[in-house]
Amino acid sequence: MASASEERLERFAGDRLSPNAARECVQIRDHQDDSALVEAARRGDRSAFGRLYDRYARMVHGILLARVPVRDVDDLVHDVFLLALPRLHTLREAGRFGSWLAAIARNRANDYHRSSVEEVEFSDEVVERKSDGRMAPRAQVDAETTAVLAAIRGLPESYRETLFMRLVEGMTGPEIAAHTGLTPGSVRVNLHRGMQMLREKLPRGALDKPQSG
Amino acid sequence: MGPNGLGMDKDTKDDYLWDRSGEPDPEVRKLETMLEKLRHSRPAPEFPVIVQPSARPWRVAPLWLRFAVPAIAALLMVAGALRLLVKPKPVPVAQAGWDVVRVEGAPRLGNQTITAAAAAGKLAIGEVLETDAVSKAGINDRATGEVLVEPDTRLRLLASNSAVKRLALERGTIRATIWAPPGEFVVDTPSAVAVDLGCVYTLHVDGDGNGELHTSLGWVGFKFGERESFIPAGAMSRSKKNSGPGTPYFEDASQSFRAALSTLDFEETGSSPRAAAFSTVLKSARRRDAFTLWHLLSRVALHERGPLFDRLAALVPAPAGVTRDGVLNLDRQMLDLWWNELGLGDISLWRNYERSWSIGRTPAR
Repeated sequence: MASASEERLERFAGDRLSPNAARECVQIRDHQDDSALVEAARRGDRSAFGRLYDRYARMVHGILLARVPVRDVDDLVHDVFLLALPRLHTLREAGRFGSWLAAIARNRANDYHRSSVEEVEFSDEVVERKSDGRMAPRAQVDAETTAVLAAIRGLPESYRETLFMRLVEGMTGPEIAAHTGLTPGSVRVNLHRGMQMLREKLPRGALDKPQSG
Repeated sequence: MGPNGLGMDKDTKDDYLWDRSGEPDPEVRKLETMLEKLRHSRPAPEFPVIVQPSARPWRVAPLWLRFAVPAIAALLMVAGALRLLVKPKPVPVAQAGWDVVRVEGAPRLGNQTITAAAAAGKLAIGEVLETDAVSKAGINDRATGEVLVEPDTRLRLLASNSAVKRLALERGTIRATIWAPPGEFVVDTPSAVAVDLGCVYTLHVDGDGNGELHTSLGWVGFKFGERESFIPAGAMSRSKKNSGPGTPYFEDASQSFRAALSTLDFEETGSSPRAAAFSTVLKSARRRDAFTLWHLLSRVALHERGPLFDRLAALVPAPAGVTRDGVLNLDRQMLDLWWNELGLGDISLWRNYERSWSIGRTPAR
């Protein structure tokens, strides 16, 4: 047996498992999973790409929410995946699908702003497309929520993206790291500092009362 | 639990913000409640079928190649036929198996004792690895992962091929760190089958064949017949021979919650103690324990399912498409949709891998 293997075994021979070994296995696992789906999607398997959508749509939604008005985010999520699909062959490392897709999402948000003639205002309305094609409100966004959204959008980019993924999309820190390709350490720092800055930005007492409904 | 050892200072260890473990931070909780209505919910669009351009597109072969290929093929066929006629002697094939190292004491591998003088061996298919009260061993497969075999443990390697790596843990404790694709590493125990879904867990089997599974990272499926438990990081499940896995729960759940759960899972009691245990579980369930209540839905009697539904819905609202009637009738699709709201990963991972290994499998006897 190779000595490197012996060393790895020794690392978790004690009561505590080695965080490095654990991280290694998570990274390999994610890489393998995404790689298999990307390869299948490249061969024309639409259900495989559908699973990538299921896995990554929240990340893309969070990235877009940090940059564009709420009312347009859902449509842009679809745009991002429809842009990515024909470009899959340009992805050199299939296991880096998440960070590649995140870059497409950021570029799509930039294009959105470039192509907007009027200055875009962030809308408070959350809309969804009905079966007849018209848009209708999905949820009422009250003034308090609007203020929180604006405060998060005022944070540095890396903090606001991470906070949107955590607070809106319900992703955990480890999930954010696995999806975006950032290290867990960076995500944890982004969450912590972002939350700290958000607390400072929000009016005193804004987070004191329990949220109703 | 988070990735510790990252060099964080103390004040960055806000666990609830990191992975929703520990006591919820009220401010973070309020923000979550306020903002969750903006969460992504739109299903995937109809994706077009696009066959990606090949990196090396085929070209029409030159004329000489069109003749050379059939000629070479004919030569190979003749050579193959000659080889069959000559019947060469069988060549020894390297035996499939896992590398074994001695970590402490003198573990036994088949008939061989691994001592300091002969520290490594190979666990072949069907072979037994056994440790006594003072010995430990490690087994390793480069493509699969590493397993630490604790003292007083006996296990057997059942299969090791490209589709599945399968151990039978007859008694004792193993700690597994697995990087094989989900669903490939399977451990049979007398009371349930553990299927790794990524990637660190501890499995213990006592002298009566009852078991205990603790997940440290990722999650693990634990199944016996139709009874299945999904055990995420920080959670555990006990299992009993002939009954299968009990309801999984987070290890930081209150003692009363855990005791009541044990009563519901494994004790033959009258209706009154059972009702008391059921009531305790509902009352003391935290938001984090929603996943335990989700598992209970398919384990309790129909008359208990209604109050269980209400308590679970109070902790994690049922998503669109999930109805009370559907859940009371244990509609698999609705239960899966609700699971996906728990924030513990997508259950389709389990469903996909479950199909590939569970058919016709039974735990080790």
